[in-house]
Amino acid sequence: MILPGMAGVVVNARVGDLVFPWAADHLEPGVSAGNAKRERHQALQFLACIGNDVVVRSGPAAGAVGCVTGKHAFVLVDYPRNALELLAPGDRLLVRAVGQGLRFPDHPDVAARSCSPRLLEQLGIGEGGEGRIRVEIAAEIPSYLMGAGLGMSSEWANCDVMFTRSEVVERLGFGNVRLGDVVAMHDQDHRFGRGFRHGYCAIGVVAHGGHGAIPGHGMGVATILSGPSERFELVRVEQANLRERLRLPD
Amino acid sequence: MAVHDINRAELLETVVVGAVTSPEMSSMNPYDVTADGAPFVPVGAGGVCYTVKVGMSALDWAADHVEPGASIANPSGPANEALSLYACVGNRVVVRTGDAAGAEGVVTGKHEAFHAYKHVLVHLDDDALDRLMPGDVLRVSACGRGMTVAGQPGIACHSIGPELWDAWAPAGEAGRLAIRVARILPPEVVGMGSGRVSAATSVALQREPAYGLTGLRIGDVVAIREWDASYYTGYHEDRVTIAVVATGDSPVLGDGPATTILLSGPADAFSLAVDEDANLANLLGLS
Repeated sequence: MILPGMAGVVVNARVGDLVFPWAADHLEPGVSAGNAKRERHQALQFLACIGNDVVVRSGPAAGAVGCVTGKHAFVLVDYPRNALELLAPGDRLLVRAVGQGLRFPDHPDVAARSCSPRLLEQLGIGEGGEGRIRVEIAAEIPSYLMGAGLGMSSEWANCDVMFTRSEVVERLGFGNVRLGDVVAMHDQDHRFGRGFRHGYCAIGVVAHGGHGAIPGHGMGVATILSGPSERFELVRVEQANLRERLRLPD
Repeated sequence: MAVHDINRAELLETVVVGAVTSPEMSSMNPYDVTADGAPFVPVGAGGVCYTVKVGMSALDWAADHVEPGASIANPSGPANEALSLYACVGNRVVVRTGDAAGAEGVVTGKHEAFHAYKHVLVHLDDDALDRLMPGDVLRVSACGRGMTVAGQPGIACHSIGPELWDAWAPAGEAGRLAIRVARILPPEVVGMGSGRVSAATSVALQREPAYGLTGLRIGDVVAIREWDASYYTGYHEDRVTIAVVATGDSPVLGDGPATTILLSGPADAFSLAVDEDANLANLLGLS
């Protein structure tokens, strides 16, 4: 089976849409941004943060302003539909990168990764009760589902949740997860790389879809925060999604 | 109990070659970062290791993925893919060039580093290791690819040579394959290595303070519950994967001892018995 989804421009699958009902593998919603020069590509990967503005600088969509919504092998950018209908591979994009270096002076054991100041503010991430950081999340993911992406840098790409098979999605009740959802990953330490650690928690956003055929892969979650579980006050809400929270235009 | 049948007569013995590797570093900055954010210099992968051998602890070395004995690869990319695919644990190896020419060894594992190298690991005795040099050519009598287990079509065989099969002696028992493993691990212990080609890769066991890899040895045959490696590696609630610990631990988060995949199949195709002696050093008489 040949399944599209990675790289280029996806016009009709957007942040805010359901993750699974697509004939796609590693579905990257909107625009996938890269740089042909490896060193510059790595800088783009490591310095771009979720919530950053991305301006189109060439082609018919020049001037359109998008937003970084995730990372995979590429940096993933949402644009308004009218811009997506004009964009094409090769168009120049300018990322106004800000966020690496962000830290919480009152929570030194919580790490921010690829998290822009705008994202923190608009997700409403702030002080909770008993000195904890309050985060609204749409879903919670158990550690045994974390797959490809473990062992890699916290800031690079994302970590796949192994929803390779639809039976697993249905059995565990993840059918309503949407691209751009904010999720908590339990027993995951994503501060200095990504791995399993009991009593730690990582917060991320659903960056790409994943209902492809390759075991060990699946829906990708890009890390934004990680620290000891007791530092977080997790609140389940249905609308914890970048589409609404960052007020991304249709 | 009799050793369970495999399609022994159908298996090819072919020759693949590799050269002893030399450690490689990629940049001016020598540091990797530990799980707690501390810099460290990775040492242990590539070349010849004199101190760490199959049968010794996989943990607590001042090292990152220490490869026991000799680490080999073929400098040609496609030929290295073939080496990585065809070499199976237990296969015989002969040194063909250099001061150690003629020395005989055994394949003990495979180790893949993401976007970096693929090594095949070879046990040789101390005398041969002392004479070995990076660049020396080793000839591997590759056999095992294509193996099937009689009456168990659901079991995929990967990097297991018939030499190891015989020494390990899986037995048929009430329609299941009865095998000995040093320990049985849950799926969340698998770190780096998900989503890769089962036949050539390694998957890491994550060492985690609250979780027990205590006592794990290089060469241990381990079972991983709810894990599928029929073709690619990944979570599957009804499968079990059997692998052998090929390298030492890693300080990197989400990484750890690399395991080489031997078998994978439906959970009800196996009958697992925990036996601390299920280690290559014992099974293959390595010293």
